[in-house]
Amino acid sequence: MRGELILIVEDEAPMRRFLCSALASHGFRVADAGTLAMAERVATESRPAAVLLDLGMPDGDGLDLLRRIREWSTAPVIVLSARDREDDKVVALDAGADDYLTKPFGTSELLARIRVALRHGRSSGAVDDDPILAIGPMRIDQARHEVTVDGELVHLTPIEFRLLALLARHAGKVLTHRQLLHDVWGPRDTHQTHYLRVHMAALRRKIEADPARPRWLTTEAGVGYRLKDE
Amino acid sequence: MTVSARFRGYAIAALGVALATTAGELANGRVTLADQAMLYLPAILVAALGGRGPSLAAAALSVAAFDFFFVPPKLTFAVSDARSLITFVVMFGVGSAIGSLVARLRTAEAASRERERRTAALLAFTRDAAAASEVGDVVAAVEKHVRELRDDHAFVDAVAHQAAVAVGRLELASAARESALRAKAEELRSALLSSVSHDLRTPLAAITGMATSLRDRADDRPADEREALDTIVEEAQRLSRILTNLLSITKVESGAEPRREWVPLEEIVGSALARLEHELADHPVSVAVPDGALAHVDPILVEQLLLNLLENAAKHTPSGTPIDVRVAREPGRAVLEIADRGPGVPVGARVFDKFVRGRTGAPGAGLGLAVCRGIATAHHGGIDVAARDGGGATFAVWFPDDEPMPEVEAS
Repeated sequence: MRGELILIVEDEAPMRRFLCSALASHGFRVADAGTLAMAERVATESRPAAVLLDLGMPDGDGLDLLRRIREWSTAPVIVLSARDREDDKVVALDAGADDYLTKPFGTSELLARIRVALRHGRSSGAVDDDPILAIGPMRIDQARHEVTVDGELVHLTPIEFRLLALLARHAGKVLTHRQLLHDVWGPRDTHQTHYLRVHMAALRRKIEADPARPRWLTTEAGVGYRLKDE
Repeated sequence: MTVSARFRGYAIAALGVALATTAGELANGRVTLADQAMLYLPAILVAALGGRGPSLAAAALSVAAFDFFFVPPKLTFAVSDARSLITFVVMFGVGSAIGSLVARLRTAEAASRERERRTAALLAFTRDAAAASEVGDVVAAVEKHVRELRDDHAFVDAVAHQAAVAVGRLELASAARESALRAKAEELRSALLSSVSHDLRTPLAAITGMATSLRDRADDRPADEREALDTIVEEAQRLSRILTNLLSITKVESGAEPRREWVPLEEIVGSALARLEHELADHPVSVAVPDGALAHVDPILVEQLLLNLLENAAKHTPSGTPIDVRVAREPGRAVLEIADRGPGVPVGARVFDKFVRGRTGAPGAGLGLAVCRGIATAHHGGIDVAARDGGGATFAVWFPDDEPMPEVEAS
């Protein structure tokens, strides 16, 4: 069986070569584009399973392509961006990107993100019939609102439970502050980031063995949070 | 008024009186005594143009000449008719009144001429001062214009005032020019740095990626080859951190306000430790954070600060020595301490200055601690380093709250 098709949108040839060879050597099929115009054509013609998108393209803003792809496709899009461009990442994530990779990154990070994105891409739209999510030492029972860590029942407040369950449903994927605030507190409180931070700190103290060095609930500085799934 | 001018005034007075007397003599017998007295009035009037002195002199001389030549008994100062005394008094009174009026008029005229001259001089000075493009020009204008009217205190005062205004204007203009220049230079530096760092980052990303690709396939290669690939990856990442520091220092030095939020410091400590997992592998790190210790800071900048302090500690202390991170809430501020058991920092070392290299000769651009200070200062806080009891150094950073800490309900 041939691997899933990944579209690489990157204007720098060496970077494009690295991405192509790394993905090809791990069994993916790759298509690459050095301009947004070409990327859009390839995306509509060959329907990739996932897109790696560099935001700074010479012929325009990668965000525009992301928005156009989102009009007809739910295929996961991972944006590639530099460390000091947190705002760009947040904008891209809120505009429908699924995750991001901060340059420079290595093959292991790249493959981990692609796998998570493809998994979520496949399950999106499908009815999640298993109410119990198991991640690392955690078992999150969404029907009974119960969480155990290493078999021990952990008492969470309703907000903490909603936060954890939301992150667990998107395990491995980054969720922005805005997305978390919107889904847990509602559309009016999306700017009250400190609510989120304080409750997240409390949640860490209940879940993590060492809350100052979280193993599962990690912070993506300036962007949001991620519940690791491996 | 000069001596000769005053003398001329008196001469005119005497001449006028002599002419009036001569005219009176010529008309003698055909006119009355009162008409002869009248002839003196033009003489007094003309003399009055010479000032108060000549006008009084003319009045007195007129009275005397009238008495001597016309009032009987003639050619004596004796007076036979008491009515003539009234004529004397009126003549003298009219003479002195006219004199003082004219004199007052002349003083007023002189003063107005003086004022006009001063105004013109001041105007000329103001024009020169306005055209001045540096303080030296203003000084030259003061010298030029004050020389003519040196004794006029009001004028000198006015010039001094105008000069101060001109100097103030020049200072303002030069400050504006300087700040525009500085802003321009700063803008250029920022643009240059961000373009350079973008240009450097792109190849770095490719190098890192390729090296990790090779490393993945090198499991069956000799150990030194695998190590070489690891080193390429690590050094590329270090370069990337240096670039981030360069950008951070540009950001904080440009005076842009940090985007402050209430953040649990534990979260920032956690994400910094995770990013330095590899660098800190040889050092046991302890973390002490009180429950719910919030700081009002820009989380990205403070993570950068913490990364620099931790990397600095890891780089300059012997492997195996502990690094202790401590967070404390004090009234009105949050304090962050990173303590190590390394060689310490020499007293008076300017470690927070830009491009001052580290204590142990380990590599680095000397930018890390300067960035830390820049970030602390941007938060109106500070950073300090002290010798630690029992050896080592303690870096302390503090962030003052600039608004009351919010309550978060625990529902």
